[in-house]
Amino acid sequence: MGIPLEKPRVVLETQEIGKEFNGVWVLQNIDFELAAGEIHTLVGENGAGKSTFIKLLSGVHAPSHGRITMEGRPVAFSGVRDSETAGVRTVHQEVNLVPFFNVYQNIFVGAEERTRFAGVGFVNDREMKKKAARVLEQLGVDVPVTTPAYELDASLERIVQIAKVLVHSPKVLILDEPTTSLSEEKRKTLLQIIKGLKTTGMGIIFITHNIEEVMEISDRVTVFRDGAKIGTVERADATPAKIVAMMLGHESFTIYKRGDCSSCLDVDLELKGVWTDTLKDLSLELHRGEILGIAGVVGAGKSEIAKAVFGLDRIRQGHITLFDRKYEPSPETAVSRGIALVPEERQAQGLIPNFSIMKNITLTYLDRFARGGMLDTGREIEAAEKYIDLLSIKTSGYAQPVKYLSGGNQQKVVLSRWLNGDFRVGLFDEPTKGIDVKAKEDIYALVDQLARNGKSILFLSSYLPELLTICDRILVVHGGRIVGEFDPKSENARESIMHAMLGGKVAQ
Amino acid sequence: MNSAHILTRVRLDKNFLRKYGTVLGAVLIFAVFSVTANNFFTAGNLFLLLRQMSMLTIIALGFTFVMAAGGFDMSIGNATGLVSILFAIVLIATHNFMAALLAGLIAGAVVGAVNGLLVAGIGLPDFIGTFAVGSILYGVKMLITKGNPIFFDKNVSPLFLFVGQGYVGPVPFPVILMFLFVALTIVTLLKTTLGRRVYAIGGNFTAALYAGISIKRYRFITFLISGLSVSIAAIIMTSRLGSAQPLAGEDFLLDAISVVFLSTTMFGEGEPTASGTFVGALIISMLNNGLTMLNVAYYFQYITKGLVVIFAVVLSVVLGQRLRIKF
Repeated sequence: MGIPLEKPRVVLETQEIGKEFNGVWVLQNIDFELAAGEIHTLVGENGAGKSTFIKLLSGVHAPSHGRITMEGRPVAFSGVRDSETAGVRTVHQEVNLVPFFNVYQNIFVGAEERTRFAGVGFVNDREMKKKAARVLEQLGVDVPVTTPAYELDASLERIVQIAKVLVHSPKVLILDEPTTSLSEEKRKTLLQIIKGLKTTGMGIIFITHNIEEVMEISDRVTVFRDGAKIGTVERADATPAKIVAMMLGHESFTIYKRGDCSSCLDVDLELKGVWTDTLKDLSLELHRGEILGIAGVVGAGKSEIAKAVFGLDRIRQGHITLFDRKYEPSPETAVSRGIALVPEERQAQGLIPNFSIMKNITLTYLDRFARGGMLDTGREIEAAEKYIDLLSIKTSGYAQPVKYLSGGNQQKVVLSRWLNGDFRVGLFDEPTKGIDVKAKEDIYALVDQLARNGKSILFLSSYLPELLTICDRILVVHGGRIVGEFDPKSENARESIMHAMLGGKVAQ
Repeated sequence: MNSAHILTRVRLDKNFLRKYGTVLGAVLIFAVFSVTANNFFTAGNLFLLLRQMSMLTIIALGFTFVMAAGGFDMSIGNATGLVSILFAIVLIATHNFMAALLAGLIAGAVVGAVNGLLVAGIGLPDFIGTFAVGSILYGVKMLITKGNPIFFDKNVSPLFLFVGQGYVGPVPFPVILMFLFVALTIVTLLKTTLGRRVYAIGGNFTAALYAGISIKRYRFITFLISGLSVSIAAIIMTSRLGSAQPLAGEDFLLDAISVVFLSTTMFGEGEPTASGTFVGALIISMLNNGLTMLNVAYYFQYITKGLVVIFAVVLSVVLGQRLRIKF
């Protein structure tokens, strides 16, 4: 109050930076400032532009517009190496340790300390051990530097990854969702360690999907949405409600005219106290003719629900009932008992890229297109042409390899595969990910129609607007648990669901 | 407009070469030997060539199933020798061709099943699992024979002699058997649910799993087919040699690998096909036959075969083919 605070030194600043790919601006006009000794948090939904922004700062991409300055001097990075030389270091979400290297070897991998003897360079293990121990001490962890990486738990893996960049004394440290997959307790500890790093005077950019973390760790919060910066708020002015509101914006969505599902009484699929490596005591009921939304951010355990039901992840405890009968999941049993899976990764999990549209469509229920093991190509072609027509798949013909189709058309091929059979429970995991608006609407209409025909659909998505559009009920999953159930038509459904997806407490 | 036209033509030619380059290579090799080797292009030698290649073709066709499912089988060389030995022992003991045939088929099926169990079932990497099985088979061969060949009276069974040396009209029986196998493999790979699922697994393992296909069952079947093909080839070989040699058939491993690699370079998509395997076997067998006729030392034959495989694979990749050979 009246006492002039000394303005902290700015280590990194961006002015109007933006990035375009093939004429599409994925990021525009970002003004951003990072002070020394500050933790500046970035939040935003998937696809909001956070990752692109980070890629510009770390030299993965060059900005198409605007400029970046470090400590007042303009910089232009032509690669990650450039940004690292300038003092920007990133700890990525993926663990990138060599399992059979020990801690200090991992910390110095690619940047080994050397000593020269008789004109030949040798690695200087003693020096590396000393430096590694020092940096680990600074992080406040007590782990021998000779521990092999495969013996580290998830939180120590993170810490070693952080140590790996700290030995280079960065000016700017970027942490991309460092706390995902950590237990509550370990998460708290890691946050404390990160807070402790502020005293070294480096600027820290922290990315998270967890609203409690935002509140706990930030000095400032910047919100991204649709490739633009919505605003920056100081910690003192930030509330969870305010940040969620900034993330969501004010767009209005058309609610799909779904009939009331009050008649959806029969339980087709029931999970009771299911535990897998990711899921924790998860229970849910899916009713006949219902579209049940599962909302969750990346890594929340959304896809793992589908994988558990389809028999792709091992169930450690709990059980699943299907049409009032016991069900032991395996992909084959799942198919024969009427379960369909549209996987999240279309390319990696959904399609045989070299196969034609026809071969991809008939793959699952192939026996229905064969007699005594011999394929009836005529019937296969008939089916393929039927679905090309029915779902308006844009193609030169049923014989075209699916790898040449656009994302939306590829997804329609995956959906057609299941429409061949009379599946009764559909597990649709991010079925509209990365496809254009028209194709999205086609898929919503199809899913709606399927439910009207008495199929029950588990619709898993991280994209809130679509969940609100077509679901009868929405469950939010976070940290492998169901944390709340919502009626999409209720007031403030959007805000409450987003709040819950980000790990906020749910008032029930 | 003119240049665009030329570009299209060049691309079309490139596409044509990528698909049929290896077939053109086979024609070229045939032409070169016909000109350079005196007796190459004679009816007698061509029948000899076909008869020589029948065993390799049959083994390579079985191997084609394994590789179409994205797998690999390193045991085929030693398996051929072992089947031959077991077949001979039963034939000598019983003087009954059918009993010996059954023993040979069972031996091959057991080898295939063990490979399938280790690789498809337990999940050992193909290369390691089948390599280890091959090593064990080598040891078993030596254990049984002490390294000595097993000789027997060629007239022990007329049926036995017919398998490797008989004729139907002017055509050697093994050649008929080979074309039967080629036809059967073409139909199985292209026209049955088994073939479709095998290619799906090879095309995208994860997507096949997510489509509800039993990866274990179908990969197991491919190893079983490989084992049975080895049995048939081993019995033909034994009949042709009139004896069982512990080291006989070892060359089939390297040759069959070359054949199926050549097969993947044909017809476009980097997957082995039955007809591609036939052309591949023709190439390798022509080299074996033609280079011998030209009195080229056997070590140069190996060098030539290696170079031909490298050339075909590199050329197909340069022409834009995705290489789908993994271990």
